[in-house]
Amino acid sequence: MNIKLQGGKVYDPINNVYGKRMDVYINDGKIIKKNKVKGKINKVIDCRDKIIMPGAIDMHTHIGGGKVNIARMMLEELHHDHNDGCDSSAIIAPTTIKTGLKYIQMGYTSCFEPALLPINARQAHSEMADIPFVDKGGYALLGNDDFFLDLVKKKASQSLINDYVAFILNASQCIGIKVVNPGGINAFKFNQRALNVDEKSNYYDITPRTIIKILTRAIYDLGIPHPLHVHCSNLGVAGNYLSTIETIKAAESLPIHLTHIQFQSYGNNGDRSFSSAAPEISHYLNKTKNLTCDVGQIMFGQTVTMSGDSMSQHKNHHHAHPDKWMCMDIECDAGCGVVPFRYSDKSFINGLQWAIGLEVFLLAKDPWKVFLTTDHPNGGPFTSYPHLIKLLMDRSFRNDMFEKLPKSVQEHSILKSLKREYTLKEICIMTRSAPAKILGLKNKGSLGDDCDADITIYDQNKKDVEDFFANPSHVIKDGKVVVKNGKIVNYIWGKTQTVKPEYDAGIEKILGKFFEKYHTMKLDNFKISDDEMTNVIGSEIKVNECIHKRK
Amino acid sequence: MKPNSKRYITCPFCSLHCDDIQVEVNNNKFKIISENIKDCTSKIEYFNIKNSSNLSARISNKKISFKKAIDSARKMINNSNDITLVNHGTDVNGVRSLLNFAANYNCVVDHVNSKYLYRNLGIIQRKGYMATSLTETRNRSDVVILFGNNILKKSPRLIDKVIFPKHSLCTNLKSRKLLLFGDFDARSVKKMKSKYRVEHFKIDLNDTPEILSKLMSEDKLTKNLEGIRKTIKKSKYLVASWTTSDFDKCNDPDYIISSISDFILLLNKTSRAACMPIAGSLADATSSQTMSWITGFPSRVKFNGKSFFHDRNICNSQEIISNQNTDLAIHISTVNHNKVTLNDKIKNIFIGHINSTFNIKPDIFIPVGNPGIDHRGIMFRTDNVVSVLLDKIRENGLLSTQDVMNMLSGVHD
Repeated sequence: MNIKLQGGKVYDPINNVYGKRMDVYINDGKIIKKNKVKGKINKVIDCRDKIIMPGAIDMHTHIGGGKVNIARMMLEELHHDHNDGCDSSAIIAPTTIKTGLKYIQMGYTSCFEPALLPINARQAHSEMADIPFVDKGGYALLGNDDFFLDLVKKKASQSLINDYVAFILNASQCIGIKVVNPGGINAFKFNQRALNVDEKSNYYDITPRTIIKILTRAIYDLGIPHPLHVHCSNLGVAGNYLSTIETIKAAESLPIHLTHIQFQSYGNNGDRSFSSAAPEISHYLNKTKNLTCDVGQIMFGQTVTMSGDSMSQHKNHHHAHPDKWMCMDIECDAGCGVVPFRYSDKSFINGLQWAIGLEVFLLAKDPWKVFLTTDHPNGGPFTSYPHLIKLLMDRSFRNDMFEKLPKSVQEHSILKSLKREYTLKEICIMTRSAPAKILGLKNKGSLGDDCDADITIYDQNKKDVEDFFANPSHVIKDGKVVVKNGKIVNYIWGKTQTVKPEYDAGIEKILGKFFEKYHTMKLDNFKISDDEMTNVIGSEIKVNECIHKRK
Repeated sequence: MKPNSKRYITCPFCSLHCDDIQVEVNNNKFKIISENIKDCTSKIEYFNIKNSSNLSARISNKKISFKKAIDSARKMINNSNDITLVNHGTDVNGVRSLLNFAANYNCVVDHVNSKYLYRNLGIIQRKGYMATSLTETRNRSDVVILFGNNILKKSPRLIDKVIFPKHSLCTNLKSRKLLLFGDFDARSVKKMKSKYRVEHFKIDLNDTPEILSKLMSEDKLTKNLEGIRKTIKKSKYLVASWTTSDFDKCNDPDYIISSISDFILLLNKTSRAACMPIAGSLADATSSQTMSWITGFPSRVKFNGKSFFHDRNICNSQEIISNQNTDLAIHISTVNHNKVTLNDKIKNIFIGHINSTFNIKPDIFIPVGNPGIDHRGIMFRTDNVVSVLLDKIRENGLLSTQDVMNMLSGVHD
């Protein structure tokens, strides 16, 4: 089956194509060069008034796993959204089907769950297998599990830790490693209520800095494409930008990705002891070579926060709206906390959080280093991305919104002085090519030869940016037209993207003994095989290459 | 599988889903050789095929070919106006297939244990909740409180796997204390006391809220309770556990569970403590988790074309069936052969365990395999966070619930 996208304006940053009018050819799920087309063209899509981009990639969105289900069950009363032909589930805790439908209708073709507990991996993958259309993947949580902390405490070799990290990626079928509040979740189980970057945990006597250092090294040594994905210490605490900077330093120049950095860019100046430290953080982002981040922009309205950071979620439960919440300690592996929250545009703190996120976006010089996220649903639902893009691309719209916020917010932010307007090229980079690159997805985020035919076609006649990005005219996934004029025309199921670095099987003996001694299940039951993924869980896997052989 | 081979399997028959059960498999027959489940007598028999003739499908209790049973069931389904699906226990793929079927035929889907689910769920739907899991309890707790009377009978391996295992990572097992609140079996308590630090406080479970309130107050207490108060105040990681059905005879089960949760929240102001309800002997957690991610609701959903709605009263299958607000009930029961009560005023299709028993014979009986014995599958443990892989260890030709539901839905037509 050959498809030709005829005469569209193409944006393909990986191939340095920006707004060039050209044809794109698709054959059996792949993009191919014109000279490789064999046989007749079966379908031509007239794109003369269209803009063509690779399918968008959400590299940080909570779409599967125990915490998402807790939110669905907790907030049953919010499931009354009947306005869109989908089921009634609330967009802040949507069903798997609604998740897939809403993403594909916005032109997103791959999504990554950033807090996949290895012990909960079977559930997370089962859930994500039920999300239609999109490819998905997960980042396995490490750094608060007792096995890892015990290894560090016993001064295990970096090589042994590398084996463990590689084993976890294989066993949990993930594509990256994330650490949440390094050591803090574990410390909370021993009743510590905060843990600074250079503070030792009471039980294991280990600092977050040590954990960051060891894990960034492991990922580098193993050649895992995605750098350590870090939710820093002291999330949401006034003055936490210092912890963020120390976390960057802890990586000792190795690649590191800081997630939802908006929540980590707070100063404690001013009469309310809460201020923007976006300029300080952006300074580090711009000058540090191996540092990337996603923003975690907040949006006003009801949402639900869900995080592995049980320490911080327990601290914040007093702000729950509606007034209910849940925290859980999980299997000597990690933790979680689910706290519903309403961001109010009348609140000084929430208003400033909104401005801080935008400041981070606008102060970042390189769109290859900063990614567009709301940390769905923590900052707001992913369906608000088109609105967020408009805020970035349209200064006057942004300023109009800013002027509606309390005067106190306006006095504490430099937002109005930032004249930058993101270009289509920059949006394309930060939502497609840059996430593909940082995740090591060689066949995605690009319209080059032999890439996956995941393509979004926008209608150039839509003049409103938000409308433009919310309603692409066509979305093509794996070479099949799945959305046409906003309507779903084809149901398909994506793959699970993984990476499988090599490891010495000896780690399984050590870990197996640990499981026998301390766990309530066997190591064999913890591991998820490729066969289980395909034939029981229900998702085919795609193994991505490591950057290099293990060092 | 090699003849006379020994292997570990994961037990599908209670919510602990122990995977340290060793069996010897020979010519599709297997023998359980693990000592550790000798107390789970009521569960072991679920493994056995009593009589090979039971493998046949039946219509009005007469043996019939599998194909005819499926054809007849499809006819019955197509002639029905309001179908109710009652889940008595199946695996994740079984639940997926029920929902798929329900979407095609506009059915109500409910789990038979929904009332217990809503008792526990009520806490997180109303207020705060601190929870923990089996392995955390095993490795971190210094005090465990069990409320009820049957919890240890239902899940006997809570003791050797979780509360008093051989090893614990972060606590001294010799000083771990088990407090039993309720009417526990005296002989079992005596036996436990000879080995472990156990105290039994025989209380009327209705008094639970009042006792917990006293324990957290500064009021003067009886000597017994004063001792407990000291233990609780000294604890660094306390776990409270219960099984909701133990409160069936109480005046207000919701209030009791809520009071336990409140007690835990209060302890967390200065120390660490968490709840760990034991539930799910009919794969309740598997049902509620899978339904939640597919529909947004853990149970009691009525499909209507592409959309569906949830109402825990209107979609209560027991009420619907007893009021005959349905003309066909399809019961699915793969994890035990407990007696299933059917209503003779409506049509009944039963898809389930070969040894199942009934008050009246179902119109159509379609036997299916057990997940974890006859086919592979996934089930959730009681803590709702760990799901286990169930393997296939026997070949007897029985299909899975998913296979059968897909045939009934016409998925493979």
